[in-house]
Amino acid sequence: MIDKCIACLKENLDKNTIGINKKLLGESVDTFYCIDCLADFLDTTVEELKDKIEEFKDEGCDLFE
Amino acid sequence: MNNKSSLIYADNAATSILDEEVFEAMKPFLLEEYSNVSQPYSFSRKSKKALIEARNTIAACINASPEEIFFTSGGTESNNWAIKGIMLFSKEKKGIITSNIEHLAVLKPCETMKELGCRVKYLEADTNGYICPEELKKAIDKEDRLVSIMMANNEIGTIQNIKEMSRIAHDEGILFHTDAVQALGHLEIDVQDLKIDLLSASAHKFNGPKGIGFLYIKNGTKVRSLIEGGSQENKLRAGTENVACIVGMAAALKKNCDKLYDSTIYLKELESAFYEILDDCEVEYKINGGEKRMPGNINISIKDNDGEMILHRLDLMGICISTGSACDGGNTNISHVIEAINVPKNYARGTIRISLSSKNTKKEVTEIAYSIVKIVKKR
Repeated sequence: MIDKCIACLKENLDKNTIGINKKLLGESVDTFYCIDCLADFLDTTVEELKDKIEEFKDEGCDLFE
Repeated sequence: MNNKSSLIYADNAATSILDEEVFEAMKPFLLEEYSNVSQPYSFSRKSKKALIEARNTIAACINASPEEIFFTSGGTESNNWAIKGIMLFSKEKKGIITSNIEHLAVLKPCETMKELGCRVKYLEADTNGYICPEELKKAIDKEDRLVSIMMANNEIGTIQNIKEMSRIAHDEGILFHTDAVQALGHLEIDVQDLKIDLLSASAHKFNGPKGIGFLYIKNGTKVRSLIEGGSQENKLRAGTENVACIVGMAAALKKNCDKLYDSTIYLKELESAFYEILDDCEVEYKINGGEKRMPGNINISIKDNDGEMILHRLDLMGICISTGSACDGGNTNISHVIEAINVPKNYARGTIRISLSSKNTKKEVTEIAYSIVKIVKKR
């Protein structure tokens, strides 16, 4: 697993960023975007992705911390 | 870009929008005629009359008698009551026959009855989700008291041969219950023709309010009360009547039943438009469920894909659908229905359900289809 953004090469992606990549790109992905690049890639906003992360955390999904 | 103001709702099997005319019918009983119908004063007169009319309307929609309609809090309570109410009354015969694709509101009460000493047999659905009546015939023995088979499956939409299965059950002296929560308001149902003993229904599945449903209990069927207290509902279901919601349920059911033919044709057109786009764009998918299926139900498994991912990506686009799989912290749980019909593993994870209503437009369906194409082609 490479924990740096495949678009901007930002390093040390946190667990929540990797989790939201898995949720929105597929469980099996092993390369990831940082939150900003993921929002760009999906034509959405960082705010929306952060809301999603909070919802997954509330559900108790252990892909998130 | 997510735009919540242009929400496309395509999860009508989960719940449906409250019809505006239904809301208008309910409003007086929320704001003005709020009396408890059990009270003897004249203020309760209009509510009592509305309750009687609602019961008559609902009974007429399914060709039942008004005294056979018992109001409940919804489909889950109705299913629990049908199963527990029959089995708790049955002193000698302790067998239940159901299927492996029922809703949890049937499977869980069956499990409870098992813990209380009943025996439960599960008929297996075939790959299209049909329960074979012959299998029911083979499964029945003298210990059985109740058969409970859903009319239409909530996930894959397959419609069962209820008439044949109730005939088989009755030939052996066994009661027949059907969970018609998905079907009522969307299919023509005649309880006399189908020879059903008990039928569960829920208003919010046919543009009525949430928190209200009913259980049809054929005259002469001995059922024990589940919710005990006051003497409402002929002393069988205690609790102050929710008049506004009951009125809303009747109005919604009548409206849906009146336009059943037109809405079925319209929904078939929407389904065709959806599949055509997926085919044109060469998406590899399989349709789950039989040919006899709920109008507007699209349940597909997309090859080598991830249903939960598709659901969340569509959500970001303002589109609401459902999935047949869910992530459980790194593991994917496939729904019991998708597992039961043996969807191949490389397809099962990519299962999604789109459930359309006559309020959806062709433009919306086109947008849903192209959005799915965009997601599965751009990973």
